[in-house]
Amino acid sequence: MHMSDVLLSPAVAGVMYAGSVAATGYSIYKVKKIDQPESVPVMGVMGAFVFAAQMINFTIPGTGSSGHLCGGIMLSAILGPEAGFLTMIGVLLIQCLLFADGGLLALGANIWNMAFYGCFVGGYLIWKAIMKHGMSKKKITAASVLGCILTLQLGAFSVTLETLASDITELPFAAFVGVMQPIHLAIGLVEGLITAAVLVFIYEMRPELLWDGRRLRGSECVQKGRMSAKKMLIVFLVAAGLLGGVCSLFASELPDGLEWSMERIAGTAEPGELAGTAEPGGLAGTAEPGEITDTTESEQTGAVYEVSNSIQEASAILPDYSLKGNDTPVGTSLSGMLGGAVVIAFCTVLCYVLKLFRKKTGNESLE
Amino acid sequence: MNQLNEAVKALHEIDLESGKRRKNTDIHPLSILLVTICYIGVTASFGNYDMPKLFSMIIFLIAGGILYDISLKNSFRRLKYILLFPLFLGAANLVLDRQILWYLGKIPITSGMVSMVTLFIKGVFMVYATYFMIIRIGIEGLCLAMRAIHVPGILITQITLSYRYIIVLLREMERMWTSYHMRAPGQKGIQIKAWGSFLGLLFLRSMERADNIYHSMLLRGYQENVGIPAAKGKYSFGKSAAYVLFWVMIFACLRKVPLFYLLGEKMAGR
Amino acid sequence: MDTMEKGKTIILADNLSFAYDHKYSALEHLSFQIERGETIGIIGANGAGKSTLLKILVGLLEDYQGRLEIDGLTVEKKTLKEIRKKVGYVFQDSESQLFLSTVYEDVAFGPRNYGYPEETVEEKVLSALRLVHMEEHRDKQIYRLSGGQKKMVAIATVLSMEPEVILFDEPSTALDPRNRRNLVGVLNDMSCTKIIASHDMDFIKSTCDRVFLLADKTIRKIGTAGEIVMNSRLLEESGL
Repeated sequence: MHMSDVLLSPAVAGVMYAGSVAATGYSIYKVKKIDQPESVPVMGVMGAFVFAAQMINFTIPGTGSSGHLCGGIMLSAILGPEAGFLTMIGVLLIQCLLFADGGLLALGANIWNMAFYGCFVGGYLIWKAIMKHGMSKKKITAASVLGCILTLQLGAFSVTLETLASDITELPFAAFVGVMQPIHLAIGLVEGLITAAVLVFIYEMRPELLWDGRRLRGSECVQKGRMSAKKMLIVFLVAAGLLGGVCSLFASELPDGLEWSMERIAGTAEPGELAGTAEPGGLAGTAEPGEITDTTESEQTGAVYEVSNSIQEASAILPDYSLKGNDTPVGTSLSGMLGGAVVIAFCTVLCYVLKLFRKKTGNESLE
Repeated sequence: MNQLNEAVKALHEIDLESGKRRKNTDIHPLSILLVTICYIGVTASFGNYDMPKLFSMIIFLIAGGILYDISLKNSFRRLKYILLFPLFLGAANLVLDRQILWYLGKIPITSGMVSMVTLFIKGVFMVYATYFMIIRIGIEGLCLAMRAIHVPGILITQITLSYRYIIVLLREMERMWTSYHMRAPGQKGIQIKAWGSFLGLLFLRSMERADNIYHSMLLRGYQENVGIPAAKGKYSFGKSAAYVLFWVMIFACLRKVPLFYLLGEKMAGR
Repeated sequence: MDTMEKGKTIILADNLSFAYDHKYSALEHLSFQIERGETIGIIGANGAGKSTLLKILVGLLEDYQGRLEIDGLTVEKKTLKEIRKKVGYVFQDSESQLFLSTVYEDVAFGPRNYGYPEETVEEKVLSALRLVHMEEHRDKQIYRLSGGQKKMVAIATVLSMEPEVILFDEPSTALDPRNRRNLVGVLNDMSCTKIIASHDMDFIKSTCDRVFLLADKTIRKIGTAGEIVMNSRLLEESGL
C-alpha cells in the first residue's frame, strides 16, 4: 500500500529516503556493470506495463472483491532485482505525481516499503533461491505467492513502524500491527496468485524471458559478483536493524507536540518561547517502536495515563496564563481566525495585483 | 473502465497544462521542485495539534492558485486517494485521544478532534502542493530538474520511457478490456481462467515493442552512457534563485511565527 | 559487380544470405546494386524476408553471409556507427519509433545524439518537420497525433539526421487514402535514396523506379515498377 505524506515526519521521511537512495545507488552500479544497453528500453516499457497492469482488477473467485498485480516480484522475475528496483522507482514516482498515490515526501518510504522489499527480498531471497535448480510452473507459483506475502508483510510492518516513529497516531503499536498484517496477508495471497498466473503464462510462451537467478534476459553470460541469498539476508538484516534503530532514535528525540501545541491552541505561550517549550515525554511511550514490541496491556494504559496526566498539567497552567492575557481559549481561536482571514485576503489581493502587473508587462514585451 | 479512463485523463491534463505553463516561465523546474519539497517538509513538521500555524501555510497555495491560474476544482478528485488511510488513523485519534480542550458553545472540543483536523489539513495541503508542482513543470520538467542535480541518466531515461508508454499501454489495455467484456457481459473483473493470458499477452507485446524501441534508439545514435539528451531551456538563473529564496524565507517565517494568531491579537487590540 | 563506382552505386550486395540463429534460413544468395538517388521497391508476400533484408542493410541483424557494402563501407560491427549515420530506418510501427513525449523532442533526439549545438538541432528539426508538413505540430504530445501524423513524424525523425539512404518498412499500412496520398507526395519530394518494403502495389507503383520481387527467400525478379506490378501472373506465383 502507498504510504501518504501526512503519515510521515520529515525526519523519518529523510531516513527512508537515505535508505532508498543507497539501494538505488547500488542498483545503478550493478546495472551499469552488467552493461546491457538493450535492457534500458525494456525497463522503460516494463515500468509502463506494471503501471498499467496495476489498474486492472482481477476477480477473486467466491468473493466480490478483486486484486492487482504485484509489481516488485513481477519485475524482479523479468529483469532481475537491481533493474527491477530501478523500474519500480519510476512506477512509484509517476503514480505519486499522477494520482497522488503516496506523495513526494513519502516517496523514499514507498520505494523502500514496496520496491526494495519486492525486488531485493522477493528477488534474491525467494525467487532466486527457489529457481536455483531450474524452473517449473509449480516453483514459479510458489515463489510468486511466497514472495508477495513476505514482501507485503514487510511493507505493511514498515508502514506501521514509520507512522509510529513519525508520532502521527495515538493508535498503540499492537492494535496497529493487528490491523495491518492480517489485511496484507490476504492481499499478498491474492496478488501472489495473480502474479503467478502472469509469470506462468510467460513461462509457457517465452521461458527465456524470465530471470533464472543467473543470467540476464537473452544473454548467456553468467554474472559474477552477484549476491548470494545468504549474503543478501545478512545485508537485509543489518539494514533492517539500522533502520529500526535510527527510526526509534528519531522517535524518542521527537518533541511530543501535545503539551506545547495545546498551549499554543490555548494561546498561552509567548511566540518566542515556542521553540524552547518542546520537550520529550508524554507520548514517548507510544512513539518508540523498539520498546513497544514488548509492551503489555498495563504498560499501554500506563502510557495513556501519562498522557492524560500531562494534559491535566497543561490545562492546570491555563488559568494563570488566561488571567495574564485576560483571555479564553475560544477568544484566542477567534483572534486566530480573524488574523487568518486578514492575511489570506491581503495575500489574495496582492497576488491578483501581481498577476495584472505581469500580464501588462508580458503584453508590452510582446508588442 | 473507469480507472483506465481516469488515468488517461490525468495524463492528458498534466501534459496539456504543464506544456502551456513551461513555455511561459523562465523559472527553472528545479526551483519549483525545491520549493515544493521545502513546502511539504515544513508542512509535515508541524505537530499533531499545531493547527493554527499549520493553517497559515495556505498562503503558498493561494498565491500559486492565483498566479498560475490553477483550478482547485479540477484537482479535487486527487484527494480521495490519499486521504482514506490518514482519515482512518485520524478517526483512531478521535477515539483514543479524548481530552477536552475547551467548549465551543456546548460542544466539547477534544485533542483528538484537533489532531484529526490537523492531519486532514496537512494531507490536503501536501496533495495540492504536489499537484501545483506537476501541473507547472510536468514529468519532462521533473526529468530536467533531476538532470540538473545529476541524477544518473539511466534512471531519467527509464522514467521518460515509462511515462511515454504508459498511455500507449493504457489504451491497448482499454481495448483488451472492452473486447473481454463484450464477450463476457456482467463480469466485474477478469475471470481467474484469463488472469495469466490477459496480462501475459500484453506483456509479450510490450517486450517486442521494447526491442523495436531499442533499435530505433540505436539507429538514431543513442549512447547508453549519455542517456537521452535534453535541451537546455532558456531559464533565468537569477529569477530561479530568487524564487527559491523568497519562498523558503516565507516558509521559515510561517514555521516560527504564528502569523494569523499574532495579527488577530493585534487587531482585537490585545 | 566487383568494383563499386565511387559516387554512383550506394548499396552493393553480392551473394548475400542470412539465417536466424544460424539455423533458420531467411534469405539466400541475393545480389543487387542500388544507385544513388534511386527509389527501390521491395515486394513479396508475408514472410518473404522484406523486413529481414532491411534490418540487415542497417546492421540490426548481424552475421550475414556474402558481401554487403554501403557507400563503400562493408556492413560490420566497426562500421556500424558510420553506416547508421548514412542510413535511416522508418519502422512499421511508428508508436515504437517515437519514444519521447513531444514531436520536437523526438525529432531532436537524433541530432542531439550527434552533438550538434542546440541552434543547429533546432534548424534540422524544423526543416525535417517542414518536409513532412508537420511544423505546426511541433509542440504536440506524440500520443495526441493521428496514425498518419505519427508516420510523418517518424519520417521526420529520420530526415532530421540527413541520411543518404532511407529504408521504409510498410509505410502505407494503416493509412487512410488521404494520408497515403500525402505520404506519396512527401516521398517523391525527397531526393535521397529510398528503399520501400511493401505489399501495397499501387503505392510501390507511384513511388518507385525499380522493384525487387522477393520470393522463396531470394530475389525472383528485378525490373521497373511498371513491369513487375503489372505482371499479375508473376505476382500470383510469388504469393501476391
